[in-house]
Amino acid sequence: MVESTTIHLRAPARVGSVQAELRDAIETQQLVDWEQFWRPALAEVLADLDRRGVPRSAWPQSRHWNWKEKAEQVYGVLAYRGFCVIADGQTQGLAQIDLNRFARLPEQSGKPLVHVDYLEVAPWNRPELGQPPRFRGVGSALIAASVQLSLDEGFKGRIGLHSVPQADDFYRRCGMSDFGPDPQCQNLRYFEMTVEQARAFLEEE
Amino acid sequence: MAAKRTMTLNLTDAEMSVLDALAMRKDLSKTALLRQALRLYQTVEARVQRGDKLLFENEATKEKAELMLL
Repeated sequence: MVESTTIHLRAPARVGSVQAELRDAIETQQLVDWEQFWRPALAEVLADLDRRGVPRSAWPQSRHWNWKEKAEQVYGVLAYRGFCVIADGQTQGLAQIDLNRFARLPEQSGKPLVHVDYLEVAPWNRPELGQPPRFRGVGSALIAASVQLSLDEGFKGRIGLHSVPQADDFYRRCGMSDFGPDPQCQNLRYFEMTVEQARAFLEEE
Repeated sequence: MAAKRTMTLNLTDAEMSVLDALAMRKDLSKTALLRQALRLYQTVEARVQRGDKLLFENEATKEKAELMLL
């Protein structure tokens, strides 16, 4: 059964915060939203970047992600979990998690952690794409959910992930340790959160 | 957190001592360790069913050894 938690997101265009829902699964409706709303919005952004002659190196680095395929690949496998954030009746962010990974930082090397395989927020929530975001705090809510899952699984808050370069600063701001580029994962930087960093992150949230 | 069901697990002394040692080394409770083991087992089984092999590589020598799963 899917668990749902009420969270609050900042909505710069509105007064105060907006109530949203954090769910511990990626279900059919999220994939429908991705197809019907995220993809056309991203296509518009990409067309605009193309018109303005913005080099492809500055285009969103997750633009090729296909959430339908990602969900199909892990369907029914216990090690994989998903989270989504829903607000205004639409999916605002998605994360796919792998529970079969182990920590690398010397102080927690070999201990299990929650690995965030993919985390993406809807194109209209990404300030770097040129428009004021509709909602802020979606990415942080998904990281907080990953830390909470780590606690629930007995992993004490440890999480890890490989970041696309455009998201490196976000994970640094989350207080994660930067392990540097990982040659085994397309040279993406590997970030890890220790038990203490997880505690500090949740206190901040 | 998803609802959980309870079961009784009967282990020999040797098995219990391995479970204790692994739980200590991995900084997990015994329940969390067994749940982790189940996830790993299912993942390995799914890959083997797909025709993949499970290989271990020694980082220093680069020597590879296949774990036979029958």
